[in-house]
Formats: sequence, C-alpha cells, structure tokens
Amino acid sequence: MTARDAATGPVLEIAGELDHVHANTLREVLTTLTLRPGQRLVLDLAAMEFCDSSGITALIAAYRHAQAAHADFALAAVPAPTRRILRIVGLDQTFRLHPDSDTATRPRPTTT
Amino acid sequence: MCRTGQPDPHDAGDEQTSDAAFAALLEDSAEELYESAPCGYLSTLMDGTIAKVNTTLLGWLGLERAAVVGRMRFPDLLTVGGKLYHETHFAPLLRMQGEIGGIALEVKRAGGARMPVLVSSVVKHGDAGEPLLIRTTVFDARDRRAYEEELLRGRKAAEEARKQAEADRARLQEALAVLQQSLLPATLPPVPGVETAAHYHTASPDRLGGDFYDVFPVDGKRFAFFLGDVCGKGPQAAAVTSLTRYTLRAAALHDPDPVSALSTLNKVLHERYTGSGDPRYCTAVFGTLEPDPVTGQVAIHLASGGHPPVLVLRADGTADFLPTPGGLLVGVLPSARFVTATTCLAPGDTLLLYTDGLTEARTGQDRTSLYGDEALLAFAARHAGKSPTDVIQALTDLLDGFGAGLDDDTALLALGAPAPTL
Repeated sequence: MTARDAATGPVLEIAGELDHVHANTLREVLTTLTLRPGQRLVLDLAAMEFCDSSGITALIAAYRHAQAAHADFALAAVPAPTRRILRIVGLDQTFRLHPDSDTATRPRPTTT
Repeated sequence: MCRTGQPDPHDAGDEQTSDAAFAALLEDSAEELYESAPCGYLSTLMDGTIAKVNTTLLGWLGLERAAVVGRMRFPDLLTVGGKLYHETHFAPLLRMQGEIGGIALEVKRAGGARMPVLVSSVVKHGDAGEPLLIRTTVFDARDRRAYEEELLRGRKAAEEARKQAEADRARLQEALAVLQQSLLPATLPPVPGVETAAHYHTASPDRLGGDFYDVFPVDGKRFAFFLGDVCGKGPQAAAVTSLTRYTLRAAALHDPDPVSALSTLNKVLHERYTGSGDPRYCTAVFGTLEPDPVTGQVAIHLASGGHPPVLVLRADGTADFLPTPGGLLVGVLPSARFVTATTCLAPGDTLLLYTDGLTEARTGQDRTSLYGDEALLAFAARHAGKSPTDVIQALTDLLDGFGAGLDDDTALLALGAPAPTL
C-alpha cells in the first residue's frame, strides 16, 4: 500500500489482496492521512488482486473518512470481480468509479 | 579457546598444595568411610539375616546395632508393602541376576515413621561360585520422593486445568449454540397456502454466523419473510445479526411495506455503528407474501438492499432471477435506496432466497473458480417444479458436495405455492 499526492489530493495505491489483514492496514493508513475539505481521496485498485467482504468494509470506511473530512472519494481501476460485488451491493451508485488513476485525479471543472 | 601445550607456570605449585590438603582430609580409614558414608550399607546372609550394618543406616532406622545384627532380617526393616515387594520381586530377581539396582522401597523408622529409600544389592560369591552373602546399599530418597510428589502434584494440577479448560470450552460452545439458535427460527411457522423450507449451513461450529432468515405473520392475510447476510463473522457479527432480525420483525409489525422495513433497519444500523470506526452493515431481502385461498396463487412484494437477486422457479421447469439492481447495503449511508420487485407464484412455483456463500463457493480441482450465478440458475432450472422441501434438499446436497470449497455460512429459504394434488 503506497500513498502519493496528486493535484486533487492523496492517492492510495492498493496492491495484492484486500483481505481482513490488509483491510486493517488500510484503515490504519487512513487515520494518518491528511485530507483537506474539497480534496479528493482516490484509492487506486489497479494492482489489487482480491477483495473480500472485509475489503468492502475498508472501502466503506475510506468513503466515510473522506465524507467526514468534507472531501470527495473515488475509486480508480476497479477490477472486474470487485466491480461486480460493488454492483450487487449497490455501492457502484455511491462510489465514484474511474477507469484509471489519471481520470480519477483530474480536477473537476469548478462549479459556481 | 586455544591450547599452547605449555604448562601454566602457576599450575605446578598449586597442584602440590592441593595434594597435601587432600591427603590430610583422606586420612580416614576404610572403616570410617563405611560407617559414616552418606548412604546405608548392610550385608546379609543368603537367608536375609543381617550380618553387618553401618552407622548411617542405624541412625536412619533409630535402632541399636545389637538389636539388629544377627537378630533381624533385611525384610524386617521394611514396611508391609516393602516386605511384600521384597518377597515377590526383589529377592527372586536378585537370586536370578545376582544383582539388582535402584529399587524404591520404604524402611520403618523407630518412631513409626517411614522413610523412602532406593535399594541396590549384589550377591557376593565364593571361589567355587557359591553365593555367600548379599551386600546392599540404601540411599535416602526423601528429597527425591518429595520432588516426585511435587511433579505428581504439578501433573495433577495441569490435568485439572485441562479438564477445566475443556469444561469451559464445552460451556462456551453451548452458549454459542444457544445464541446461534436465537438468530434463526427453530422452525418456520405454518403459512396457510404456502409451503416453506429453509437450510442453514454453518462454515464453522465454533464461530457464530452472520447469515439470517425468518418467516412470520404480520396481519390476518400477509406473512413477512427476510433473508440476509451481515458483514464479518464472530460475536460482533452475531450482535448485528440479532439487532437486524428483531429490528426487521418489529418494523414489519409497524409497517410491512418492504422498503419501509429495510429503511428502518438502515436507520437503526447506521445510527448504531456510525462513528464507531467499525462500519457494520448487512445485505437483506425483505418481502411479504399474500396467498389467495381461491386461486392458490401467492403474491410476493419484496425489496433488496445489496443482496444477490432472488430466484423464481416456475412449475413449467424454467427459472429466472428476479432482479433488484442498485439496492444499497443496509446500514452504510444515513439514507439508502432499496429496490423493489414483485412477482406472483402460481401453484407449483417456488421463490428461492440464498446468501452468497452458495454462489461464492469455490469449485474446480484447484478450488479457484466460483460456483457463480449462471451455475445456480441452471441448477434452479433443473429443479424447477419441485416442492420447496425438495429444492432445499437438492441445494443442501449441492452445498455438501462443495466440501472444503464452501468456507462461508450459507442460508437458504424457499417459499412455494403448492402444486395441486392430483
């Protein structure tokens, strides 16, 4: 799990399995993350190989973390099996999904 | 470490001094050594009569030499148990082998006390090989016995701790079983005009499951049913399951509308677990069924929150998912969208609800592929037209067939309009 900063805010790259153990790591990393109002927290799942229900819980925790900070939340490059789970549980309507981290970190046109 | 082969210059002088000191110390006679050795010595004739005994042993026994020598036999020094053992084992073995070593016996002391000892004997033979006498050493084994008793006590304590742990474990398992039962109905209530069947597969008997289902009456005409899956496992998940089950039951009595019941549950779960840093949620299908006694049809209204679509098995041998796309997990957001669906079960039709333990079961040689929706749909079509009981039985056999590939709890609930009896 590596963190980097994009113009839009922090990007967490999640590699390997987002199972019970790594889900806890993600939740710990979240607490150390500085997220300012108006920024966007992006989880880049391009290298994620597996995500079980603990992984989904961690994604929800990340979403809530962003909400609490009045920040945006987006997922990038969600693998097909995980996209299927997100669709079943209705979270594809809640999370903003982007095909890759480039589009996920593109600043939104400012609205007035 | 290195050796040079050169003698240490200090050694020579030291050796001389210590030799002299040893000589002075060792000037006691063999007789003195015999009498005051740190063990008992005695010599007996072949019939056991004591011919010679040392002071140390006399001291332990608390006896005068005159009372012992020529007057007592070796077995007379032993306790009753010791005497018996001497007669049956010690003496015969000694006669056979000519020596015997390290036998634990107890000697009687003058005050009536017993003293544990270790006895070794050897037969002295004459020039012609004839046995002459028996030489015996007696070692004080009181400390050793105390040590052994300590070991025994320790072992007993460990044994008791183990028994206690086993009893605790049994009690815990019983408590878990009782709690688990409180999460599921013991039996489904009879629903007039509807046949029901259910099955719960526990992945691990030690762990409280997170799947749940229920069927119960809401008013004179309608019954409510639900089935779902709480995230996670263990006691925390079971607490959510319990909260979920009783919230849905209470909500349905107030307003049996499926979206209304799920919305109430959503609110309860979200409020309970928000801010805990530990989001808890569930997937659920909640519905009502209303049998029409005239037509034998059963009207189904249901809503889904993040749950896989239910299946409808038709009497004509077809099966279809009843899609509820976009219904959100229950408890994740303060307000959630739930998706409704309706259908009508004609006689011989069955509605099948399941949790994803079934579709996520790992199949294939290397257990890497999932059973999946399509296989389930095909399986359902093969059993369409059968009664709910038969459908659940077939699925139970299917689950059993997954073996180790099924590592999650799985709940199954089938509700059917009975086929007309011919």
